[in-house]
Order: sequence, then structure tokens, then C-alpha cells
Amino acid sequence: MASTDSAERLVTTWIASGRDEELAEAVQEVSEGRLLGIVKALGIYLTSEQDELRTKGVDFLATVIARCPENALNRQSVKVMSAFFCDKLDDTETIVPALKGLASLPPICSAADALLIVNAIFKHVTMRALVQSVRFHVFSTIDGLMAHHRETLKGMKSAFIAPYIALADGEKDPRNLLLAFAIARVILIEFDAAPHIEALSHIVFCYFPITFRPPANDPYGITPDDLRAALRRCISASPAFGPFAFPIFLEKLAAGSPPIKRDTLETMTICFPVYGAAAARISARKLWNALKLEIFQPTDGATEAAALAAVQALVLTIHGADDAPGTEGELQGLARDACTECVGVLREPEKSQARPAVKVLCAFMTTTPSVARYTLASAVPHLLRLLADPDEVPTRNAVLLLLSDLIAAARDSVKPAESESEVPEPPLASYKDEVLGALISGVGAPQTTRAAIAGLMGLVSTPRLLSEAELGFVVLKATDVLETCFDGEHADDSNALLKLLMTVAASAPTLVRDQTLHRLMRALPALAPPRADNAARTSYQHILSALSTLTGPAPLCAAFVSGLVPLLTAIAVDTPHDDDSEPAAAYLHALLTALRRTLASKADSEDADVGGYAEALVPVLFGVCVRAALHGEDGPACEPRVVGVVGDIIGIVVQSLPSPQQQTFVAGLVPAFLEGKVAAICAAEHVSEGVRFLPFSAEATTPVRNLLVLFEAGIVPLHPTVTLAADINVCEETILEQGLAHTNTERQAEAVCRVVGSIVNKHVDELGAFLEHKQSVYWAERIHAPTNATPRRRQAIRVWTSICKGLLVRNHALAHAFIGRLFEVFEDVEVGTEAAKAFGEIAATDGVLTKRNAAVVKFLWAQKFATGILPRLMKGAQDDNSVQQHAHLIALTSLLKAIPNASYAHEMQKLMPLLLRALQIPDAEIRAGVLETLRSAAAQHPWLAEHAPTLARQVLQYTKARGVALTSMRIRVSALRLLGALPAVVRYDVLHPCKADVLRELAEALDDPRRSVRKEAVDTREIWFKYNG
Amino acid sequence: MVEVFNPNPTIFAPAKSVKPFNTESLWVEDPFSFDADGEAADVEQLIDQEEIFDLIRSIYDPEHPNTLEELRVVSAPQITVIGNRVMVEFTPTVPHCGMSTLIGLSIRVRLLRALPSRFKIDITLKPGSHQSELAVNKQLNDKERVAAALENPVLVQTLEQSLVNASLRGQPAAEA
Repeated sequence: MASTDSAERLVTTWIASGRDEELAEAVQEVSEGRLLGIVKALGIYLTSEQDELRTKGVDFLATVIARCPENALNRQSVKVMSAFFCDKLDDTETIVPALKGLASLPPICSAADALLIVNAIFKHVTMRALVQSVRFHVFSTIDGLMAHHRETLKGMKSAFIAPYIALADGEKDPRNLLLAFAIARVILIEFDAAPHIEALSHIVFCYFPITFRPPANDPYGITPDDLRAALRRCISASPAFGPFAFPIFLEKLAAGSPPIKRDTLETMTICFPVYGAAAARISARKLWNALKLEIFQPTDGATEAAALAAVQALVLTIHGADDAPGTEGELQGLARDACTECVGVLREPEKSQARPAVKVLCAFMTTTPSVARYTLASAVPHLLRLLADPDEVPTRNAVLLLLSDLIAAARDSVKPAESESEVPEPPLASYKDEVLGALISGVGAPQTTRAAIAGLMGLVSTPRLLSEAELGFVVLKATDVLETCFDGEHADDSNALLKLLMTVAASAPTLVRDQTLHRLMRALPALAPPRADNAARTSYQHILSALSTLTGPAPLCAAFVSGLVPLLTAIAVDTPHDDDSEPAAAYLHALLTALRRTLASKADSEDADVGGYAEALVPVLFGVCVRAALHGEDGPACEPRVVGVVGDIIGIVVQSLPSPQQQTFVAGLVPAFLEGKVAAICAAEHVSEGVRFLPFSAEATTPVRNLLVLFEAGIVPLHPTVTLAADINVCEETILEQGLAHTNTERQAEAVCRVVGSIVNKHVDELGAFLEHKQSVYWAERIHAPTNATPRRRQAIRVWTSICKGLLVRNHALAHAFIGRLFEVFEDVEVGTEAAKAFGEIAATDGVLTKRNAAVVKFLWAQKFATGILPRLMKGAQDDNSVQQHAHLIALTSLLKAIPNASYAHEMQKLMPLLLRALQIPDAEIRAGVLETLRSAAAQHPWLAEHAPTLARQVLQYTKARGVALTSMRIRVSALRLLGALPAVVRYDVLHPCKADVLRELAEALDDPRRSVRKEAVDTREIWFKYNG
Repeated sequence: MVEVFNPNPTIFAPAKSVKPFNTESLWVEDPFSFDADGEAADVEQLIDQEEIFDLIRSIYDPEHPNTLEELRVVSAPQITVIGNRVMVEFTPTVPHCGMSTLIGLSIRVRLLRALPSRFKIDITLKPGSHQSELAVNKQLNDKERVAAALENPVLVQTLEQSLVNASLRGQPAAEA
């Protein structure tokens, strides 16, 4: 009896309090098999005369049942419960909790119970009288029955479908609709729905298209897309919907807004195949007319694409069966009519309607083979006729453009074949000769070159269409036209031609090599044209730019290099020595630049053959440069710009070598530069044994010392495992001391610093003595020594910077000790600014310490460094000592310029005032840097508001070219860009007072002497014109 | 629906915009060590025909989703700059085009915003290209009437629509 007592206590307490604890205990009781006790205890409430008590009683039972685990109730109890709740449906006071109780029964009840429940619901429930959450219980109950007792419901046939339709009619709540759509789909697919199809269409199509907009804070998180997808699954569930659906689609398409149009079109695309050919054929005309409108007068791109997809689906549905065996013959029906109509529009190929017409035809290409055949058979001959017609000469360009669209569509319509044996013939095969002929003649005429190239592009990129001989013909013709493009008038044409040739080269490189490459190489002058001959210079520049674009594939590149080497040698060695060697140097530079472009793009795509040029090319380059440098000052190969490009090429080649080959290479390189054994790395015809070449010594001439750039190019890309010398400490020290002792140009010193930094980065563990010496002696004697000459001290700071950088990039422990020393000279008048600017250089990413150069680079090193050092620099920038403050401010701005703005975004609030102060520093480089920092920060952070007006007015000053001290193009451009970025991130009311001033003063920048500044000024002013509240 | 004056206009390919190599210089441009700041050359670059064409080529036609350049309403040779005078001539697509005034006005607004105030700007229809050529020309070059037109908020909104991509300068619009 104890349990009965406790059950009674639970029920009484809950009825009084409604607390959750009692419910939990009751669930526990029921789970342990004591349902009877609970029901007994509830007895008086379940049958109470008082409405409120009765409701509460049933509610308690329903809640407990809903919370019980599935196996807690036995069959008998479920039966009783079903009957009980069904009984309570009759009572207006208990219908709500009873429905709640029923919703949890479907998974556990028997078929007979299911029948009972569903009939009771149909009999007693009036949906219109219930609120949405209760209706949800009704739908969940039916949904549950659908899931667990589908056969029983199916057996009811019309006795289920008809009352259900009445039940679901008029539902509006999105959550209930999701369930209703799911139920309707099952009925449509699995039930015998034919007698009720019209009624079903009413409760489905009344929701189409979905225009539901979810309320804010929707607790159920139902999106319009969920509803749309559920409804679409319903609409496309039954072929019998066809006759009802098409008029609705057409109506929505004609009247709807763009999103509704798109929804309708997408739904149509899904539905056509389901509704079937017969239904589609009946409405084909009307559908085509409606779809045509969306394509020929599109509201936007997305709708147009959706309409094209719908047309494709329609054609596929109607003509899908045409290709069955035994149905050969003339195409009939929609596709034929539509095709004829579009081809009719193409009679005026230059008009704007021709474009959508050809789009439709292109869409037809990816439907069925017979439609595709018919489309080509009606469109291609028509276009070819137009091309041949002498009256239509002015429209040829337009015709060729349309034709090339068709060619591309024909190419894309062929799906990749699954096996080699059944490769289908390209659809265009039967028109290939005529089309090729038309395009070839089009390429020759300047008016139509571009359009014809587009068509040829389509032809050559179609697999298995053109034969080898035909490809050769295309290449020949393209090369002919390419040669006429080098006068500078047709730069666009030549780019398109090059793309065409590259496409051919990808599959047949020898064709392009034998025809194009050799002809272009022959067209290059053997010696540099004289200074006054602008035309010849333009011509070789164009040829070289074409060559460097074409020579990607290995055979082409090899041919290019082997053709270039004698040319280079001839210019470098045989140029007659007269007064003016500059044109020769410029020509040499142009040749080498083209080669570098080729190799750089090959290295980017990681081609395997780049490393091979270490033997074929690098010794020649060394030879030419060393020979010229030893010979005197005026040879074309002595020019620093030429040496720079040679260095880049050597760098690219060495980068691509695997480390054993790098080891062999460096075994020659280091003795060549440090010990004068240069003949070993140079081609024998240029440099003989025993020449005196000592670029590190005091006796070296400037041209010889300029070759340190080549040393840098050879050392910097080396892998860390490559050994440079027996004692690396001595070697590094020698390079540093001897290298810098006699440098007389910026670039030489830079080369030495880069080599030192790169070696530190890769061999830091072996360089203990070197680094120790730097910390203890070098710093004190060379940098922190006011008696030394200023330029020497500045140079020493650069060395220090590159060591710091080498260490920092690999997050080495010593890095911070080295960097920290820089603060010691901040107050120094001579070198303080240099030391401060070094912070920017240290944090900046450069081309030297990169993964590609095999440097040891740790992830996010710059961000870590910035995060660590920022607080100190910010604190220093607010120092009382004005010298310290100034130096810290410079260091801070240089650093911010160098790092990505995400790494200081969190400090922006505090940085703003400092940056505004830094703008006042009279240093053009720093000012431009700050402006750029502010702009990149402005794009992401809406912190600007409080400073925006001050900033706008101040920056406005820097946009002027005249009457302002300290201006440069870079400052003006940065200032204009910053101004242009403000309106996007600052609320209008903040900057409203400045608008008139900004517009007025920007008018002055519109008259800037430099074109690029004017362009920025126009754009910025336009942004401010549009800046409104 | 407003009357469409020319429902099916002819579209032309945009003019080629690639700048030829700088034939004056001996040296090829070096992209690896190219310094963006060509400050050394402090020669003044004057505003020329090409620059003004760049400013107006990407204005949209009020009637079509095409630019004035694509419809050949404006072209570089139809622009003349002499000292502080700019003369822009434009060609409507059909002689009865009722949008001509609006096109002219959008060109004027763009140039008002983008050219320094020292320029005097004349905008005219190509002679013989329009049936009410004189009236349109008069309207476009009358300061008072232009100012009055710009007081009309509906008209200004239409103009802003035409000018929305004017800053593209003939480059194709980025895909949305």
C-alpha cells in the first residue's frame, strides 16, 4: 500500500503546486511498472466534475506518459491509454492534454490502437478551434502513425485521405506545415491518392510559392528554405499534379518578384521530369513562351540561369525518349519550334537579342543527342551562311562571337567518356571543315580577329575534334597573325592569340615549338637596335613578352634557352665598344627578363625541368658576367640591372635543385668568390683558368664587386643541410667583414647583409662563436660607439637587423636579446632613427627568408614578435623624454606598417592617438606608412568614429600637391585612399560636418599633376558624393 | 511601364584598353623590382581625351543594362580637350531617343564631379543624330536648367543609378 500512498501524495501535491519534481517521481513510478497506482490516485481528478481539475488530471497523465521511456508501458496499458485519451477528445476541457498524450503513443501502440486513434482524431478534432501548438500535437500524432503504422493507414484508403485533407486544410504555422508537407508527400507517393488528387493539390499548391519570412527570435529556427524544400518535395511527388501545376507555375512566373520567379523556375526544373513528357507536351508552348521571356528579358543573372536550366529540363523531359532505337527521324515538337525561333532571332546577329537566343541554343546542346544534333544542324549552317554573305560583312564579328559560344557549348556538352572504346564523336565533327575555314579567314581580318580566336579556342580545346595537321594549320595561322600584332596596336589580340597557342602547346608542344617559337626567335634582332629606333625596340619587347608567355612546357622552354644563349653571348661579348652601350644593355636586360619570367612561372607551377638549367644555363650566365666585369666598366653585362636579373635567374634555378646538387654547386661557388677560383663555375669559352677575380678584396673594381649580387643569388636559396665551408664561423665572418669593408653601392651591402642573415637563419647552431662575438664586441665597437663615422654605424645597424631577422624568423631564443640591444641607441642622434626603423624591417616579410629559399620559417613569427614588442613600444611612445618618445613612435609606425593588421587590431583603441601624432613626424616615408596602416585598419574596425572628423581634416591636407611642404605621390595616394575608406566604416552623422569641406578640397586634388593621383581623387570624391544619411 | 525607345540596340565590344609598351624608355618594365612610386618623373601629366573617356565610358544607359561605351554612345575620338575647354559629343542609339537629355545630364554630372573646376565643359549631340538636337543641346549646356534638374530628387536618383559603376573605367564589373 506504500506505493499507492506515495502515488496519491505525488498527484495531490502536483495538482496543487504543478512542480516538476513530482512529475519526475511519477515517471520513475511508471517506469517501475506502477502505472496502475498513478491512475488510481488520479481517478478522482480524471472524472472530476470540476473542469479545471479534470484538465489538470489528464494533463498530468499525458505529461507522465510522454516522459516515460518507450518500454515502460506494456501492450495492455498502451491499449488502455489510447482508448482513454481518445475518449477524452470528446470533452472540450480535456482535448488539449489528451492530444498531447496521444502524440507520444504511435511508436508503442498496436495496429488496432492506431486505427482507433486516427479515427478518434478525425471524428472529434476541429483544427480551427485549436491553437497552433495543439495542432502541432495532432500533426505529430499522424506523422508518428505514418512512420510506425503506414500499412494500417494505407488500408483505410479514402477513409484516411479524405478526412486528413479536411484536417490539414488551412494550416498556417510553419512548424506544422513542415510536418504536413512530409505527410502529404507520403500520401502522394505511397497511398492510392488518385481519387483525391484535386483535393490534395489544393492543400499543397495553396502554399506555393513560399513567401514566409521568419519572425525575429523564432524559437524553432525554421527558414524559408526549409519550407521551400519540403514543399518542393511535395509538389514533385506525384506525376498527377501536372495539369494543376502548370497553370500555377505560369501565373507565378508572370506576376512574381525576382525571388519568386527564381523559386518557381527551380521548382519547375525539378518537376518536369516527374510530371512526364505527356503532360509537358500539352503545355509546352505556353511554358516555352513564359520561359523565353525570362531569358530574353532577364530580370537578373541568377533568374536567367534558372530559366535556362528550366528550359533544359523541359526539353529533356519532352525529348528524352526520342533517342530510343526505332524512333529515328526528323525532330518534332518543342525543341524544333524553339530552335527555329532562336535561329530566326539570329538573323540579326548584331542585335542585343541575339545573345540570349544563342544562350538558349547553347543550353539545348546539353540536353539529348538528337536535340543537340538538330540545334547544330539549324544554327551552324545559318551562321556560316551569314559569314559568307557579302551584305553581312559589318556583322561578321558578332556572328563569329555567337558561333564561338556554340562551339564552346558543343565542347562542354560531351561528358567525359567512361571507357576508351565507346568514345562518342564530338557533336561538331560534321561541320568541322566549314567552321574551321570560316574561323581561319576570320582571324586574318583585323575586325574579327578576337571573335575568331575565341572560336578557335573552342575548337582546339575540344578533345578529338581536330587532327594533328589541322592543329598545325591553326598554329601556323595564329603565328602569322601574332607577328602582325607586334606593332603595339593589337596588344589585346596578341594576348588572346597567345592563350590559343598555349592551349595547343599543352597537348602538342612540338607544333608550337617548330612553327611559332622558331619564327619568333628568328624575328629577334641579333644586335641591339640603336637608341633612336623606337619601333625596333617595341617590336622586340613584344616578341619577348610573347615568348616568355609561350615557353611554359618543357620542350618549348629548352628550345627558348638554347636559342637565347648564343644571342646573349653575342650581345654581351660582340657589341662594338663605342660611346653608347646602354641600348645593348637594355636589350640584354629585356632578353634576360623574358627568360626570368618563363622560369619564375615554371618554378611557381613546380615544373621538374627548372633545376636542369643549372648545367646548361648557369655557367654561361656566370661566364658572361664575370668576363664583362673583368673586362672593364662599360660592357652591357656590367650594368647593375642586368646583373640583378641574372641573379634572379640563378636564384630560381638553385631553388629548384635538390640538396645534393646544391652541395655540388656551392662547392664551386664559395671558392670562386672567396678564393678566386672562378673558372670552375663559368663556361670555358668566357673565362679561362688563372684569371684574377677577387670581389671581396680591396683591389676589386666596382663591376667585379657588383657581382656579389650573384653570390647572394647562389647562397640564399641553399638548403640548411648544405655545408658551405669547413669552418662556418670563419666563413661567415670573412663574408661580413671583407664584404662590407669595401662596398661602394647600396646593393652590394644589401647582398652581403642578405647572405649573412640567410646563413644565420640556417646554421645558427653552428655559429655560436660568431654570434657571441657580435654580442660582446661588434655591438660595442661598431654600433654603440659614437666616435665611429655615422655611415659605418648605420651600415652596422643594417647588419644587426639582418642577423636579428635571421634569428627571429625561426623563433630562436637569442632573437630577443639581439633585438633588445637596439633600444640602447634610441637616444643616439646619429643612428637612433635607423635603429627605430629597423623594427619595421625585422617584422616585414621579404623575398629572402622564405620557405622557397629553404629558410627555417616558423608559423606566425611576425605576429608573435609584434604581440610581444607592441606594449613596450607603446609605452615608450608615451615617454616623457621627447627623444625616446620620437624614436619609439618611429619604431611603432614602422612595425605596424610591416605586420598584418589582425595582429594589432585589439590595441587599436590605444594606438589611434599615437598614430595621429606620428602623422606629424616630418618624414615622407613614415607619413605614407601611417596613412596606409590607418587605411588597412579602417577597413576592418569601426573604432574610428571618435577620431574620424579630426582624421578627415588632417588627411585632407596631405591630398594636395601644391603649396604643401613634404609631399610625395605615395602620400597623396595613401591619403586619398584613406579618405575614401572612411565613409564605409563611419556613421554619416559623425562626418556630416566635414562633407562640404572634403568635397571642396578634393576638387583641388582632381587637378593633381599625376594621373594616378587624379584617379584616386575622382573615386574618393565620388564616394563622398554618395555618402548620405 | 515607361516607353522603351530602342528595345533591341546594337552592342559593340568595348574598346581595347591595354596600354602599349612605353616606347620612350629603353628599359623594359621590371615587375620584380618595380617601384610603384615613379616620383623621379615629376613631369606633369595633363588631362587628356583618354582620361576623360575613362571617366564616362562606364556610365550605364538609363534604358539598358549596358554602358555608354558598349552602345557606342560615347567614344574617345568624340572628346576634345583644348586648354581649359572640354567638348564631349555623344550619339544616341536612335534619332528619336527620349533619353538623350538624361544621358547628357549623366555625363555632365560625372564630369562636374570628376574634373577640376577650371574646365568649361560642353556636351553636345553628334550633329544630325537626333531629331530635336538643338533643344537637347541647349538644355544640356544651360547652367540654370542643369542646376534646376539637379534639384529634383527623383531625377538625381535615376542619375545615381546610371553612375553607379562609372568608376570601373571600362573594366568589367566584378561578379556579384
